[in-house]
Amino acid sequence: MYGGGNTFEGIKTDNLAQEDPIKLAAFEARIARGEKIEPTDWMPQLYRKQLIRMIEQHAHSEIIGALPEGTWITRAPGFKRKMSLMAKVQDEVGHAQLLYSAAETLGKSREQMIDDLINGKSKYSNIFNYPTFTWADCCFISWLVDAGAIVNQLANAKGSYGPYCRALDRICAEESFHLKYGHHCVIYLASGTAKQRQMFQEALNRWWPPMMHFFGPSDKISAHTEVLMRWKVKMGTNDEMRNQFLDMYVPKIWELGFTIPDPNLKKNESGKWEYTEPDWEEFKRVINGDGPCNKERLEVRRIAEARGKWVREALKTPKMSYVTPLA
Amino acid sequence: MNSLDPRVNRLPQITEAVLPKAALDQFGTYEVFVQPKEGKPFQHEGIVHAPNLELAWVLAKETFTRRFTCASLYVVDTRDVYVSPLTEGDKNVYDVLPQVAEQSGSKKNFEIYHLVKRGKQHVHVGTVQAVLPQEAMHLAGKQFNHSKVVFNVWAIATDTIRFTTDEEKELWLTLPEKKFRDASDYKGGDKLKEFLEKSNFN
Ligand SMILES: [Fe+2]
Ligand SMILES: [Fe+2]
Ligand SMILES: [Fe+2]
Repeated sequence: MYGGGNTFEGIKTDNLAQEDPIKLAAFEARIARGEKIEPTDWMPQLYRKQLIRMIEQHAHSEIIGALPEGTWITRAPGFKRKMSLMAKVQDEVGHAQLLYSAAETLGKSREQMIDDLINGKSKYSNIFNYPTFTWADCCFISWLVDAGAIVNQLANAKGSYGPYCRALDRICAEESFHLKYGHHCVIYLASGTAKQRQMFQEALNRWWPPMMHFFGPSDKISAHTEVLMRWKVKMGTNDEMRNQFLDMYVPKIWELGFTIPDPNLKKNESGKWEYTEPDWEEFKRVINGDGPCNKERLEVRRIAEARGKWVREALKTPKMSYVTPLA
Repeated sequence: MNSLDPRVNRLPQITEAVLPKAALDQFGTYEVFVQPKEGKPFQHEGIVHAPNLELAWVLAKETFTRRFTCASLYVVDTRDVYVSPLTEGDKNVYDVLPQVAEQSGSKKNFEIYHLVKRGKQHVHVGTVQAVLPQEAMHLAGKQFNHSKVVFNVWAIATDTIRFTTDEEKELWLTLPEKKFRDASDYKGGDKLKEFLEKSNFN
């Protein structure tokens, strides 16, 4: 799961002037040649900072993203669905493990990242601050939120930082099951009873605005990211990602006879999707902590941290010391 | 809490403040190496955090071999991996490593890993016998430095590794049965087709 927040805050490029121009040129040339940057390579401070922020937020999104879906494990309709959903949620938590590790190679400790999540200092994908009222909400996430995440993740897997790309390659391979599973769930609701169809339609109505938020603010209002694109930290603009998602999934939603709650949604002659701009004020509010579930999501993590503390302390041995992981 | 999830509502209230984490709250790290198929070399896959080598092995199995076919896996404390510098362009790392004379003392095995393409994973190339890891790298340069440019070398004393035993390999035999983890097990196509034929939405 991933999207949104990282592009919301602006970046300051003025400290680039303090970087060694020769090293900077060599760094940029390497990226332009299509070579990956590895943890021990020289890199500008801004590159390191942005990558930590982005990978960390991605990791938090996986772990928080497991909560709205995890809610439905106990109430999944049938044993098969329960097994599948459990496997999927386990994958998402595994993704967080891989991503935290990639961020650590850049020098931020896992302890610090978890602290920052719990204190609300670092963000995660805004979409997980919405509740899953019914099984159909859970199906929406498995199919379409994961679809959105895959659009982002496939793009980022072609980025410049080696450890992040390697983690994403693994993640994307696992995501293919999530997507097929989610689509399968929705097809079953679509071809089921009138009540089942209605249930999914209502979920779609609830989740469409956050889904549009998922890719981050419109290019018209979002921070300038030219340098991040050149460094292959960001692999496409928010609107490009959103458009790609709409292009791939709107026809599949329509095919099932559901209505997307936006009368202006259509593909124009040039192949671009037109839509009503989502409410970016709401997006800001939710990102900044005032969504329907922000408090609950962080509280669940906080309680888990507090309850697990004695176990972690009991397992500590004096032999331990920390070194930055290798790759 | 007032959650839609009854399990969340049942969680105990934690009144005390959650303090910033102490150093090593998440333990140290272990490097994970996986053999994807019998006969293929082991390759580096990533890390896990664990309180000891044994638990690192358990967590590595969960994190890295849940899904993909796997013949074997092993783990080693990150601190037990001896790492060469990283070179670039056409500079072979073996050309910059210092010459190390043969050491006296009891020799042990070292597993040697190479990085031959930046951005890819380190892959096992063989085992050498040496007293020191520096010496092991020097010997590896003579034995395994053939044609391709090597950018980075790792040397790991074999006796620091937690290997998978033959008995434990049975763990992976259940993988093919866990069909619910495979994308190909979710064939919605027929159901979708039938649905589309009956419906008149499109
Ligand atoms: Fe997901
Ligand atoms: Fe994921
Ligand atoms: Fe997923």
